[in-house]
Amino acid sequence: MTTRAAPTEIAIHKPAERMGFFTDTTVCIGCKACEVACKQWNDLPADGARFGKGGSYDHTGALGASTWRHVRFVEIDGGHLPDIPAVGRGRTDLGGSGSGDLDLVAVAAQRANRGGADAAIDVAAAVAAMDDWLFMSDVCKHCTNAGCLDACPTGALIRTEFETVVLQADVCNGCGYCVPACPFGVVARDPADGRAAKCTLCYDRLQDGLEPACAKSCPTDSIQFGLYDELVEIAARRVGELHARGIADAYLYGAADEPADELAGGLGAFFLLTEPPERYGLPAQAESPIQENVIPATAAAYGAALLAAAGAAAAFLGAGRRPLPRGRGARARRRAIRGWSR
Amino acid sequence: MTRRDTTPALGTHGEPGDWRRSAPGAHVALQRARWQDAAWSYLFKDDTRYAATAPADMDVVAQVNRRMRGGDLGPVHGPVLNAPVWTWQVPLYFWCGGVATGSWFVSAACDLAGDHRSAAIARKVALAAVAPSPALLIADLGRPARFLNMLRIFKPRSPMNLGTWSLVAFSGLATAAVGADVLGRSRAARAIGGANVVIGGYVGSYAGVLLAATAVPLWARSRLFLGPIFVCTAAATGAAATRLTLVAAGLPIGHPTRSALGGIEAGAMAGELLLSSINERRLGRAGLSLEHGAAGRIFRAATWGMRGGLVLHLMRGRLGPRAHHAASVCYLAAGLALRYAWVHAGRESARDDEAVARVARAAVTVDDRVSGGRRQQRLVASTRAPRAARRLRRGPAELVRRASLLAERALGQSHSVVGRSGTGGSGATPRASAGS
Repeated sequence: MTTRAAPTEIAIHKPAERMGFFTDTTVCIGCKACEVACKQWNDLPADGARFGKGGSYDHTGALGASTWRHVRFVEIDGGHLPDIPAVGRGRTDLGGSGSGDLDLVAVAAQRANRGGADAAIDVAAAVAAMDDWLFMSDVCKHCTNAGCLDACPTGALIRTEFETVVLQADVCNGCGYCVPACPFGVVARDPADGRAAKCTLCYDRLQDGLEPACAKSCPTDSIQFGLYDELVEIAARRVGELHARGIADAYLYGAADEPADELAGGLGAFFLLTEPPERYGLPAQAESPIQENVIPATAAAYGAALLAAAGAAAAFLGAGRRPLPRGRGARARRRAIRGWSR
Repeated sequence: MTRRDTTPALGTHGEPGDWRRSAPGAHVALQRARWQDAAWSYLFKDDTRYAATAPADMDVVAQVNRRMRGGDLGPVHGPVLNAPVWTWQVPLYFWCGGVATGSWFVSAACDLAGDHRSAAIARKVALAAVAPSPALLIADLGRPARFLNMLRIFKPRSPMNLGTWSLVAFSGLATAAVGADVLGRSRAARAIGGANVVIGGYVGSYAGVLLAATAVPLWARSRLFLGPIFVCTAAATGAAATRLTLVAAGLPIGHPTRSALGGIEAGAMAGELLLSSINERRLGRAGLSLEHGAAGRIFRAATWGMRGGLVLHLMRGRLGPRAHHAASVCYLAAGLALRYAWVHAGRESARDDEAVARVARAAVTVDDRVSGGRRQQRLVASTRAPRAARRLRRGPAELVRRASLLAERALGQSHSVVGRSGTGGSGATPRASAGS
């Protein structure tokens, strides 16, 4: 069931097994401890203090060169951001004290009871009426068929003994080809640094037998790390449990697929989701763009080039066969034409 | 943002880590064998109902996976892709490479037709066009000093790598051929020139492959057309540049070379217009970025430049040779504008989350209809056949990947990374290794 990278692709030959992440979004609380742990361990800069990126209460916005873990905040109903002081365009009559604190229950109650000021506030109903809010800790997928790895012209991107995809920062020359080659929008080039960067699945920690920083810090174990096969097994049992509880839409993104449905040959870091993938900014289907397109594109392009060369030759041979200008006035031109080649 | 201090906490900037363990084979504090430190969680124990205790039915899981990733496209919460980061040098480099290729084709054809004087001039034009290419290619890199890393491996599956190698080979052979011309060894120059056509074919066309082999919807959906479109403009711009140069060098009116060059220009540009219009029709939602915004304006300008050039070409009998020269200039400008439009539109297309999601969905649901606007009736054909056909089609892709890996291995380059400790550099500094 589980898929493997081609053994010939593995660049570092040490006995090891495939390691991966299983990110269970149903237990994620959106605390962003994983982001902070990742930044601390990997010596990455902050993303700035602008609040409200990505249509929700988010500082980070998206995965990037300096953000290798990103907790996506997904507002289900188009994202009603209450005007709270913390967002900076505040209305203070919503239960916020004006100091940036917010009583979400009071906000919900007020929204539910709008119109009837005297009505008793049914807090439970108000909370039930609140918009759904999804959290998902996004990360590099460490694909089996990795587009970035196929694209990299310098060999900076390699497959490690753990079958993860790692970018060697001391080899990368910043050509930027891996950026559009990633179907998940993970790799990015750092404008300050000039090189591309992405999650290494804490390769340095793995080598010393330690769990990656984000998984270590996750307080609810939404991010689980371990042997890939074991993770798939746990994830499938988790799906079974959620189905038994009536959450029929719980599914795995990137693991336990039929071979024809696999995402990029199977994702080393896969997810348990409850909404269609586009809600989380993930494509419904993905494959290494290089493996998918290079052969037909090269065949068409090189074939056209050969045709063009043949066409040029034909044009010259055809033009050479045409008679030279005739008539009295054309004598000088004929002489000039003959004179050119001498 | 760009003025950030990127000095790593440990080690030297941009160099591999050079830490050492306190003792050989020493363990890090808190490390437990086989990553057992990852298994602390209360979730794994039996007293929670985190996961079902019975083994899961994998068929059921596969089914629900398929159901949730199929069906109609719902709301998209982007961003899905990261947009390409290439700057203005890249389309200019594509153009230079195209002119060089076109001129080289022309020079080989001149030789074939027996006009060696024109062939030698065309080779010089090609060399002049290819000369700024390396500089442009290097200037676009995030770390220009590391350009030679491109040549540390031979990796046929990466169009960028193969393209760099072919550019190196092409410019080397072009220099040799021009050198032979200068030294009066015209037979050697002709032989080298003929051989270089094979490499030039890739230099002029790989830009299309490079763009097509990405996740950007516009480029990926045009994968069968981008290469031929770039080849057509390469042939036209190369012939135009050569024609103008030859005319300046005194190639007389009525000379077969002159009329052949005019025919190549016009034929190639007509071919481009035809290919472009077919491609636009089948792009669907992914083609919007080629119609709107700055990219759309540049693209329309390029198309009108080509059309204008063709009109001038057709009216050259009445307007005289100057009109024909103007047509050549039109082709050159239109070729450059076209490359800028394609690269720029790709950037916009990657940011078009809806298009990205639609193109991805086409693999699961073939009946992906475009909504909105005048394109409402058009059916977006699937780029990928579902299921069984997809597996079949993976065969050749896997073959090339394996062949590339074999080539890399045979040349012994994929081993050169082994032995580096960790990932090195500022990216992942191994702070906890080696117990203190």
